[in-house]
Amino acid sequence: MAQEQLLVVPGRYKEIKRICEFVAAGAADAGFDAKTIFHLELCCDEASTNIIEHAYGEEGVGDIAISYAVDDDDFTIVLRDTGQAFDPGNVPPPPAIGGGGVDVGTERDSGESRHDDLADQMRIGGLGLHFIRNLMDEVTYTADRRHGNQLVMVKKLQKDGDQ
Amino acid sequence: MSVWQEKLPQSNTWLVGISGRLDQSLTPKLEEALNELLDNGHVSLVVDLTHATYINSGGLRCLVSAWRRAKASEGALTLCGLNSRLQEIFAMVGFDKVFTILDDCAATRGQARKGMRS
Repeated sequence: MAQEQLLVVPGRYKEIKRICEFVAAGAADAGFDAKTIFHLELCCDEASTNIIEHAYGEEGVGDIAISYAVDDDDFTIVLRDTGQAFDPGNVPPPPAIGGGGVDVGTERDSGESRHDDLADQMRIGGLGLHFIRNLMDEVTYTADRRHGNQLVMVKKLQKDGDQ
Repeated sequence: MSVWQEKLPQSNTWLVGISGRLDQSLTPKLEEALNELLDNGHVSLVVDLTHATYINSGGLRCLVSAWRRAKASEGALTLCGLNSRLQEIFAMVGFDKVFTILDDCAATRGQARKGMRS
């Protein structure tokens, strides 16, 4: 695997743009197209936001370490924090989202209810995780008291003819 | 990176436009602009995303929140000018079915005027 590139920033919202730019630059070097780079930025943004909101609970509590590395097939992004464990796997997908879209239903009330459910889910990070699950090829989360929390997101490198 | 607003001529509709990345920096400004309009009883809103280059879940949450407030007051919040990447993000979470989304903001301005006359 090629050398890992690492960036460590304070866990503050204003630092997320730096994280996105850092990953976007690496993704561009790896040969991803603009659309995929946009997706990777979004996933890193959402993962970082969840670290601040759920692992640390607020801004300025701890750092976010983000790294990426490229090998023959994969672009691997790792986010690390030392906050509370926040396993994305335990967050259910937003209930109103299914099959790529909201089923607004034929009954007006049913549609309204689904929208309310969706809005509720959005408050607990479900929407950001939905993006991560859909846009990355592999997502792995581990929590370790000694080493902190680690979210690994893998995007397969584009081959000729892909996408 | 900015947020601006204007009242569409010959209508009660207000257009709020944004330029730049709808992220943690810009979303609070959009939220403030939309809430101020809603607080003042302006419930017919258009958000012009022609110059928006990015949106995350916080930006979506802001738009949904304003959409719900407008709707609760028998108003509406319409979106226009989404580029292909933003369209994809909206579709991925089904928001293309939730919001009325028009391709170009000129049409939205025309529709606002038409709605005012009828």
